[in-house]
Amino acid sequence: MVERRVKIVNRLGLHARAAAKLVRAATGYRSTLRLVRLDRSAAADAKSILSVLMLAAARGTELVVTAEGPDEQAALDVLCRMIDEGFGEAEE
Amino acid sequence: MSRKRDKSERRWQGIAVSDGAAAGRVLRVHSGGRHSIYRVSIEATEVEREVRRYRAAVRLARRQLLALKKRAARTLGDEHSYIFDAHLLMLEDRKLNEDVEAVIRTEGVNSEWAVKVVTDRLLAVYEEIKDDYLRERSSDIEDVTRRLLVALTGESMRGRRLTEDAVIVAEELMPSTLAELDFTHIKAVATDVGGWTSHTSIIARGLGIPAVVGLRDFYRAARTGDSIVIEAGPGEVVLHPTPATLERFGADRRAAKEMPTRAVATAEDLRAPLRTRDGVGVTLRANVELPVEYEWVNRYGAHGIGLFRSEFLLSHRGVMPDEEEQRVAYEELARIAGDEGVTVRLFDLGGDKLPASRLDAVEERNPALGLRAIRFCLERPDVLRTQARAVLRAAARGRIDLVLPMVSDVTDVRRARAVIEEESARLATEGKETGRVRIGAMIEVPSAVWVADKLAREVDFFSLGTNDLVQYTLAVDRGNDEVAGWFRSLHPAVLQSIGRVLDAARAAGIPSVVCGEMAASPAYATVLLGLGARELSMAPSAIPRVRRTIAGLEHAEAESIAAACLACASAEEVEELVRERLGARWPNLFPPEILPPPKSKG
Repeated sequence: MVERRVKIVNRLGLHARAAAKLVRAATGYRSTLRLVRLDRSAAADAKSILSVLMLAAARGTELVVTAEGPDEQAALDVLCRMIDEGFGEAEE
Repeated sequence: MSRKRDKSERRWQGIAVSDGAAAGRVLRVHSGGRHSIYRVSIEATEVEREVRRYRAAVRLARRQLLALKKRAARTLGDEHSYIFDAHLLMLEDRKLNEDVEAVIRTEGVNSEWAVKVVTDRLLAVYEEIKDDYLRERSSDIEDVTRRLLVALTGESMRGRRLTEDAVIVAEELMPSTLAELDFTHIKAVATDVGGWTSHTSIIARGLGIPAVVGLRDFYRAARTGDSIVIEAGPGEVVLHPTPATLERFGADRRAAKEMPTRAVATAEDLRAPLRTRDGVGVTLRANVELPVEYEWVNRYGAHGIGLFRSEFLLSHRGVMPDEEEQRVAYEELARIAGDEGVTVRLFDLGGDKLPASRLDAVEERNPALGLRAIRFCLERPDVLRTQARAVLRAAARGRIDLVLPMVSDVTDVRRARAVIEEESARLATEGKETGRVRIGAMIEVPSAVWVADKLAREVDFFSLGTNDLVQYTLAVDRGNDEVAGWFRSLHPAVLQSIGRVLDAARAAGIPSVVCGEMAASPAYATVLLGLGARELSMAPSAIPRVRRTIAGLEHAEAESIAAACLACASAEEVEELVRERLGARWPNLFPPEILPPPKSKG
């Protein structure tokens, strides 16, 4: 299993459009992908949009992305890059 | 049909938000709300069949959403269609489907009940979310739930019974609902609530669909399939019209079609220079919002785009487009507008257009007087800088002007100009190509009217936004049906304000364009002309009508009518005078039914 710490930087947080992008990307991998709040208070299946939205990850939220499976490194890299780049949205 | 309904002719009075007239059949559209769902026990032997029924409904809903997403992207733009992608993912969500199937199996219940149990549980979790913006996602879950429940009945939400003559009747029509219907088949729209500037009204105007709103209790009275006549001009809706009413309606429409010009005007004719009978030149431009309207600019012979409401580039969830997205959009608009160019209005955010709270989580008690338009842009220089850079860069490829909405005085102009000039300099050091951008002021608040002479010395042009000017001058909320009777575009105070601004522009030698909805009405346009307006900008579909009117009248006479209007004491007097004098002087141009009807307050 691999994991990395990230921070939500886009203004609106993991809202519908961002979550949709993330979930679309995640479903392309075979690995099990999870997003966990840094304080472990909540965790989400990155392949379920309802689960991701329920994290209620506003801007500034710190998460740990974990990946486990045959393509774990590639999946982790892609998800973290999307989050780091604020899902390609206009920065403030 | 067991219960007998009264089918005698009945009339309703509402507010016309998009001009035109139509006769057809009612198609009631439900605005949302949840169906009544009943729990039905399923025999153990039938449970797997019920699960298959649920899966078939998911597949049906999925096909609908895919089609809807494609259509929305084509007609409303990508920034409005992404929401359907989120809906698709929800529909395919493993957790949702596993939970629903588990409830069907373990409790032995029907799919409808299982969907309700699971989504109610989800919604309860969402209600707990602190962040307003994220909490709002519950409306998406409700939307998907509704779609699933309809799919379980085997029906499609879209296109059902959408016959050639469908008149959409709803309590309130959401833009997403309008997007969902095949609007090439919609003849007219009638709703119980809604105002002139609601998103749906604006789309209806853009598409040239007659629309009347504020009908209060009409939805309850109408049934799908009922015969209906809508005359948006006087804001009248007739349910169960008698044969005599339909006959009269048909005759009126034929007369209206034949009267002004017998031949159908071609785009070429529409592009020809426009002059009044006594030789005063007038330019008609287009107001544009959504991509679906872009092609209308040339079809209706507009001389450039007089107003592009740039906030329509934001998704309806309030996501800002980045510099590159904006640059591409502005270049496209400039290409369509051609030599006569496009005037881009800075994001007019806040107030009734888009709740500022979506962007900033600040709730304003009085948004129309709050942080909106230029104030919002100045307080959020990041937004202004991105937009300025996109406009400056796009101007390298075509003619683009920038207009500042809701300025109060020269300070707003100077502050905005400083930011724009800084970005221009920065782009130069970055080696990026830019073009010259003229900067104008939108005159729509009384303070700007009073200092218009000072403003005229600091900007390159004026745009008169009459919708807001009427609202702010008369202190009447234009979205509030209760005070609709006080919203009088022909109030002498409004006309004096317009005249004063036009005079200030002329004295300073700068152009001015009137781009509120007043310009789109032939009668109002005549008064505007008389007050000194030479450039009008309106919904593209209104151009041929206004063009015919202006080509058929004498400017000197319009001027004398406008002068008489300025001397009136009340809106009623002006309206009476306009009705009488326009009808008497140009009976062919202004038959009684196209003149503004007498309004009574309250």
